[in-house]
Amino acid sequence: MSNPSPLPDPMPLRDALRGMRHAMRRGGETFLDAMPVDSLPRPVAELAGLVLREVGEIANRANQVASGFARLALGADPKPHGSLHLLAAGHGDEDAFAKGMYAALRLVLRRLHAPSAYVSETAARSAYLALTPDQRLGSQPSIGAALSLALVEAKVMRGTSAADAAHVPVGSVEHMAIFAVMLWLQSNRSEDQDEAALESATDLAVALAPEAGVAFRARDSKRLETLFAEFASHV
Amino acid sequence: MSELPPLSGSLPPTNEPLRIAVRRMRWFRAAFDAYISAVGARIGCTYKIDEAKLAGIFVRWLRAVEQQKPGNVKDRHDYFEFAAGLMLRELTADMPVTLISAPTKAAAASAAAFWPEGYACTMFCLAVHSAAMQQEFQDKPKVSPAIDDLRHWWSFKENARMDASFSVGFLLTLLGHQPNWMMPDVFRARLREELKGS
Repeated sequence: MSNPSPLPDPMPLRDALRGMRHAMRRGGETFLDAMPVDSLPRPVAELAGLVLREVGEIANRANQVASGFARLALGADPKPHGSLHLLAAGHGDEDAFAKGMYAALRLVLRRLHAPSAYVSETAARSAYLALTPDQRLGSQPSIGAALSLALVEAKVMRGTSAADAAHVPVGSVEHMAIFAVMLWLQSNRSEDQDEAALESATDLAVALAPEAGVAFRARDSKRLETLFAEFASHV
Repeated sequence: MSELPPLSGSLPPTNEPLRIAVRRMRWFRAAFDAYISAVGARIGCTYKIDEAKLAGIFVRWLRAVEQQKPGNVKDRHDYFEFAAGLMLRELTADMPVTLISAPTKAAAASAAAFWPEGYACTMFCLAVHSAAMQQEFQDKPKVSPAIDDLRHWWSFKENARMDASFSVGFLLTLLGHQPNWMMPDVFRARLREELKGS
């Protein structure tokens, strides 16, 4: 008897469902925000308002269906844990890394008031697999720097809206979120301090955004490494 | 010299030595939030804390402390006091605390009523410093009677607005020292000044 064929890789499916949820949410918001109803003459504005409310409800219902389906299929996000060294040294740990990255980035984005940005687990996995054997054996700050740039390269975050970006005073939401998670992974913390440490890493990422932003834009791995080495023990 | 107001218990517990914990953002933030809230309850006011500002203050303080860290272990005790002054400098340079409601339980002529935000930050620095000194040196610092003299607070508020380094000198005054007012936020200069006076 032949072995049953292996299950298909679930990660791209999860990404697709999240992408659909993101598109439904963002599409509805963009459509309603872009309508210049206030500038229309009164009878037309009333009619347009009526139509828009109807369209808004349709978009809302579609979003609820998409979100509900995505939640059902995706399950709860795993609580991220573990140090960067352990994660990077392990072979075949790319899926665990990608799941952990997804969950941690979502928490960071919420603290940055940019919860609607799309995060790709598949891109996080590609970034992890892009590390060379030499990079995996480096110090924690150097692994952190290499992974940070690889995550940007793989486009782990997409669809950051102008409203999301407006909450962040300097730099890019994407750079800040990646820096925060990488800093947090290098910090010394117990499991019960995971969430408090992630919040602190996010606050530090905001405070260090001008410096980290320069390093990200220049793809300057050494500069990122120096920042991680300076602050990992202060999360 | 007198004891600090009894609010040191408002600092959150930690398994690490305080000198380590205070240099971790998560403990620093939890301690600041808890302490400021306790000061508010004592003097009958509500404060709001800007967390983003607090993170920037923490980063600048860490770097300032690291930059002037003395190589000689004999300077360690003095440097603990100086580091508390640097913390107050950063807090007053970019005040992270705003007042939501004015104090209802503070005497009209008190520092708490005169400048509630500056008072809360100063007391936080003194409380952290006191707790760390007790742990490291079994030394419970006393505060100078200047803490109850509104003229010192008036001068502190006015001068710190123009030059935040004045805050270091103010804190050292409260700890019973005669600061070098020319360069209050330079540790070496302070040492030289004290050696000349001894």
